[in-house]
Amino acid sequence: MTQNYLNKIVLITGTSRGVGLLIASHFLENGAFVIGVSRSEATIAQKNYTHFSIDIGSPEEVIKMFRSIMKTFKKIDIVINNAAVLTSQYSMILAIKNVTEMVNVNLLGTFFISREAAKLMRKNSYGRIINIGSMAASLEPIGDSIYAACKAAINTMANVMAKELSGLKITCNTLGITAIETGMLKQLPKQKVDEIIKKLPVPRYASANDIFNVIDFFASEQSSYITAQVIYLGGVN
Amino acid sequence: MKISKEQVVTIILSTLNDLIDTLPNDQRFKPEVTTKLFGEGSPIDSLTLVSFIVELEAVFSTELDTEIVLTDDRAMTREKSPFESADELANYIIEITE
Repeated sequence: MTQNYLNKIVLITGTSRGVGLLIASHFLENGAFVIGVSRSEATIAQKNYTHFSIDIGSPEEVIKMFRSIMKTFKKIDIVINNAAVLTSQYSMILAIKNVTEMVNVNLLGTFFISREAAKLMRKNSYGRIINIGSMAASLEPIGDSIYAACKAAINTMANVMAKELSGLKITCNTLGITAIETGMLKQLPKQKVDEIIKKLPVPRYASANDIFNVIDFFASEQSSYITAQVIYLGGVN
Repeated sequence: MKISKEQVVTIILSTLNDLIDTLPNDQRFKPEVTTKLFGEGSPIDSLTLVSFIVELEAVFSTELDTEIVLTDDRAMTREKSPFESADELANYIIEITE
């Protein structure tokens, strides 16, 4: 175990399962204090972990959570915007409820969290905002019209916020992940995902370490000159 | 909670002072009630103004338990901008908290 993140306060959304759970465990193993966020209850029980069960698509709930974080922790060093929902379906039959949910969580939720976190980071003139993007933003697969659009939007959003926040020494970057074996992936036909993966320059599924490698790079104190970047895994561009 | 204009002006100037203290020496100034907060002739750059608004909203929320929003349509469409001066901003805050 290393202590790369000792004394760092890291807020991660979508920590109850999947990639968010992996990332939270990674930061905890490396000495960070992790504030996890998800709609469901906590699935991590550790002394250096605290959990907020909120809907990040609700600005009121997000603001209330940050007030509580401000009172308890006084600061946030790193934010990982990971929470996302995915419904893959042809546009003509994609339910409006699913469209709204994807926009609220994947795009607006990411914005609300980034905005409130930036206000806290401003006080210390330090921060790393890292969005978990997706290869879907670049590959634009059939069925992912709204999901891919939201992921493309957060790439752009991070790049704009990078400009706005650079004077406060806050960086904003996006990691575009490829497919990794998680609950979200199980919602998609395996054959469809395999076909996409087969066409990647590095034709394999992502591992947790592939994700940690880029997150550690973006989150590093030495990465103060790295902002407004999107890094895709697997050779996607 | 009823807040007096004098109180609001004090909070505005104190918040502004705290921010000015973080600026490089050559950008520092002494804020007055007549200090223009925005636009041509203002000594405050756009990022400092944004930080000032964020901080002022936070001070009202945490210290006075009063939620104020200084950048909504109501503020932005007024004939006379609330950011014309610290005094004008105080008038606006009194108006929206009454």
